[in-house]
Amino acid sequence: MSKLEAKNIVKYFNHDGHKLKALDGINLNVSDGEFVCLVGPSGCGKSTFLRIVAGLEIPDNGEILFDGKPIENTDPDRIMVFQEGALFPWLKVSDNVEFGLKMAGIPKNERTEISRRYLDMMQLTKFADSYTYQLSTGMKQRVAIARALVMDPGVLLMDEPFAALDTQTRNLLLVEMQLIWKVTKKTILFVTHNVAEATVLGTKVAIFKNRPSSIKKEITIDCSRPRHVEDQNLFKYHQQILNELKPEVNRDNHIEEKYHH
Amino acid sequence: MKKNIIIKKIIFFAILIVIWQAVDLANIWPDNIFPSPYEVGEDLMYGISDGSLFYGIGTSMWRLAVGLVIAISGGMILGIFMARTETINQTIGSLVLGLQSIPSIAWVPLAILWFGLTDAGIIFVTSIGAIFAVTINTYSGVKNIDPNYLAAARNMGAKGNQLIINVLIPAAFPHMISGFKQGWAFAWRGVIGAELLFSFLGLGFLLNVGRQLNDVSEVIAVMLIIMGMGMLIDGFVFKKIEDRIMSRWGLR
Repeated sequence: MSKLEAKNIVKYFNHDGHKLKALDGINLNVSDGEFVCLVGPSGCGKSTFLRIVAGLEIPDNGEILFDGKPIENTDPDRIMVFQEGALFPWLKVSDNVEFGLKMAGIPKNERTEISRRYLDMMQLTKFADSYTYQLSTGMKQRVAIARALVMDPGVLLMDEPFAALDTQTRNLLLVEMQLIWKVTKKTILFVTHNVAEATVLGTKVAIFKNRPSSIKKEITIDCSRPRHVEDQNLFKYHQQILNELKPEVNRDNHIEEKYHH
Repeated sequence: MKKNIIIKKIIFFAILIVIWQAVDLANIWPDNIFPSPYEVGEDLMYGISDGSLFYGIGTSMWRLAVGLVIAISGGMILGIFMARTETINQTIGSLVLGLQSIPSIAWVPLAILWFGLTDAGIIFVTSIGAIFAVTINTYSGVKNIDPNYLAAARNMGAKGNQLIINVLIPAAFPHMISGFKQGWAFAWRGVIGAELLFSFLGLGFLLNVGRQLNDVSEVIAVMLIIMGMGMLIDGFVFKKIEDRIMSRWGLR
């Protein structure tokens, strides 16, 4: 049985009073422990799809089964890591990480014990008592990942979490992310517009069409880990994905031309 | 740097007092109309030595404190309700905007009729003058919360009161603190104004006593105290809280 099964997901947006079709029948199967990367042109609705999986948005049609049950609302079993982290500036790093546990009513000493484990995993122990304004962007994303992992979610949803990072920090986190995946055996859905990132991380890459969007192709990345951005073996996958994306991006440009002339 | 600013301030106020003394020495107005800084100082010392000034400050401060606590808690609750429920915003919200335009002193007659010449009446005027500023700022604070905070909180299982206490209020706090600042300023004006008209203890009452005794220097002395207390609370309470919040929230 699939961990996650999206069936014909359709989503409209309101744009200046017009209905705009964002998602046009997304079908996706994710097995337990898979690391699926969603790539596509910007604005294609891949983040929207992730928010639907999180339960933050309701689709206009179709349904997503999670462990065989339809998703109707948010649930700490499906935790999202946001692009900007969305950490709470009024809480210390440790309290940020413990937030979900606190909401679940877990007593303080247990929370501390659990959070300590993940702070250690994300190399944040030194920063446990810091406030988020004292952290670099990379550190903030580590906190955001730790905050998600403490909930021990059935699926981890990551919405371009490394998009705002500099190259070195990103490359470091790409390696760590693979380790985390290996150690925690989590099912991960990872949205990115960066093809290299997708091939390094994913067991499978799902390519989104331009709006109104559906999944154009799924490519299985069969390569040993830990992978790095410069790995020669990944190049053929890069090319393949870029070729699939090219008409989508061009279509985007074409639309822009029509607007500008 | 900081020291520099303090020195500038001291020099400025020293010059101001010198000019005041000079004007007094020029004898343009009689002393009972325009007292010298020395006479005002004398009155201040007199008020301090017989304790009446401290008693006045104490009375005004506790009325202010009670009024402000009512205004802040009531204003926060009302503001959060307005931000969470559109119907409440459309109905009560418009009433709040209307009531906000009533100067707190205009509530005094009603307060006297309802509460008589009591502390409760003065506290009523103090809190009603401040509550709507807190309400409006809380409302806009909650409305302007980064939606990702709320999404993340919901996602991690926060709901209902848990969400309000752990996320909504702290996330809106930078906005709310400016509401508290405005609210305190309104409350301070309210409490002094009400005391003046109620003529029932406090700094406002002392002002009135000065007027009745034709004692200009006492009036000015009490006004200086009112100004001083205002500057103190502004600078040491609200400014400090605000600075701390702003830097922790990463807004400065």
